[in-house]
Amino acid sequence: MTAPVSDRQNKAARLTLGLLLLAGALVVIALLSLTTGARPIPPESVWQAITAYDASSTDHRIIWDLRLPRTIVGLLVGAALGLSGAVLQGATRNPLADPSILGINAGAALAVVLGVALFGMTQLSTYVWLAFIGAGLAMLIVYSVASLGREGATPIKLALAGAAITAVLQSVVSAILLTSPRTLDEVRFWQVGSLAGRSIDIVLQVSPFLVVGVLLALATARMLDGLSMGDDVARALGQRIRLSRGLAGLAAVVLAGGATAAAGPIAFVGLTVPHVARAITGPGYRWILPYSMLMAPILLLGSDILGRVISPPGEVQVGIVTAFVGAPFFIALVRRRKLAAL
Amino acid sequence: MFRAATLALSLLVSTAIPAFAWTFTGGDGQTVTLDEAPVRIIASQDAAAGLIPLGIRPVGIYADSAVADAKALQGLDLTGIEIIGQSWGEVDIEKAAVLEPDLIIGEYWPLDAVWSGGEDVAAALSPLAPITGPLQGDSILTLIRDYEILAESLGADLSRPEIAADKATFETALENFKAATSAKPGLTALAVWAGTDALYVAAVEGSSELIDFASWGLNLIDPEIADDRGYWETLSWENVDKYQPDLILVDNRSEETMKTALAQPTWTLMKAAEAGQVTDWPAYWLRNYAAYARELDKLTVAINAADADLTP
Repeated sequence: MTAPVSDRQNKAARLTLGLLLLAGALVVIALLSLTTGARPIPPESVWQAITAYDASSTDHRIIWDLRLPRTIVGLLVGAALGLSGAVLQGATRNPLADPSILGINAGAALAVVLGVALFGMTQLSTYVWLAFIGAGLAMLIVYSVASLGREGATPIKLALAGAAITAVLQSVVSAILLTSPRTLDEVRFWQVGSLAGRSIDIVLQVSPFLVVGVLLALATARMLDGLSMGDDVARALGQRIRLSRGLAGLAAVVLAGGATAAAGPIAFVGLTVPHVARAITGPGYRWILPYSMLMAPILLLGSDILGRVISPPGEVQVGIVTAFVGAPFFIALVRRRKLAAL
Repeated sequence: MFRAATLALSLLVSTAIPAFAWTFTGGDGQTVTLDEAPVRIIASQDAAAGLIPLGIRPVGIYADSAVADAKALQGLDLTGIEIIGQSWGEVDIEKAAVLEPDLIIGEYWPLDAVWSGGEDVAAALSPLAPITGPLQGDSILTLIRDYEILAESLGADLSRPEIAADKATFETALENFKAATSAKPGLTALAVWAGTDALYVAAVEGSSELIDFASWGLNLIDPEIADDRGYWETLSWENVDKYQPDLILVDNRSEETMKTALAQPTWTLMKAAEAGQVTDWPAYWLRNYAAYARELDKLTVAINAADADLTP
């Protein structure tokens, strides 16, 4: 009788150690992000910039004004994307669920494009609010459409409604961009997904939402475990399915909307990372969620650093790098594991 | 035998052209010959900006952007002129055909060997009428003179007092500009376009008006590495202090460029930006004396106000 208990304890200890290692790796990658860039800055200057800031030093200003906000945005956006992907996959029991499946990216993109085309809003700080509103509205529409009918918002209906609404929203975006090259010109940079040029103001605007989203997402772990056994079992366990799914959906929207607002639509992070996390931890959202939250920023910031050095003197935007890094990774995963096991 | 026949035919054709035929040799080196001076003209936005002040009104204009945003057309009376394109590389071919043009006027860009608006536009319009126009060169003044020659051949009366007045205003503006630059021989300037991703520094040789400014005494800093077409050096926002001019000229084709520049935290790593020694660069769009005079006056004010010893 004692063996299973110690097994469980062993597993918990192993997974806790894993989390600590990931946290350590995250710190390393964040430091790397502070020391890597187009301008060569020696590590000791980076250290001095943080410990003894001197406003007259150009290097110190670069660290504080450019690299620090960029790193923080990377950490926040990465964590948000990883968590929202994991929560969405759990709540919809759809292994391919991703912020883009539920129309969140498309909604954010349409809101930004409309803002630029109709009202001439062109500064990143206004994109934040537009993207957030768009993401929320799109998710509401998708959820309402999926809720039509007697059985409510089932995973299949959610995914279908999401795909359909995404198609509609994207076609409107395309229509606007094709007829208004000026708008295309303005949003081209944002649309790819990038961490560059994001000031600390953006961090301040988005972080309250992301903090709420993170707390909400982590709190849904137990509900997601219930949902993963199927609606009937979850109901038999006394779970209020609609509430669980609603809370999880809200968390995902807040996280993905905030992330998209800050960095533009970034693909593959929210899709890939939860699968890797699940491969390490096994089922159980109590572990999948924190693992996703720590692994996704490592992937995102790592990709961003790669993009900064890969083609000097220019930079490759992080959205392009994650697509290159994430896609083959994801294909390998799909081929290795039975995805239907969710 | 066949060659002789062709020769005879071409001789016949050339002698058949009446003496009052209209000819013009365009920037592409091709000579366009018409039986009589063309009346119905479709012009690119830049050609329109060159011709309208000289009294030649096209029937249609194709612009590179929404007409309201087209710097070159600002301040010009466009009433009665059909707008047949409002985006670079696009033209409404049906509207163009309805206008029944006798001639299409654009500008020839020798680096790319294309007419204004790009190959697609030229291919769409050339079946309607021949295309011609001046060559993009190393001075806006040459371009304006080319437009004067073209306008005169099209029947414009260049002795009208408005035209003389525009030119006189420009001459005054030019004298003031030269006086300002010679009063501050140590003043250096840098022409830039600002994006969210990077700061783009303009090569002097890539822009006719920058070549003009330099020849009139403005010390423009020439960036080291320009892109493969020779127009820009891309500077990461981490490296914007590579050049330290006393005066920064910001591309004013779109108002957003200045806003974007000001929004970058490291914009002020350039001492001139910190000191507010920043003004407009009328980038690539000047085509007539009136507009040139206005922009030169702005520059003169900025040069006079600038501290030339801001940077060593």
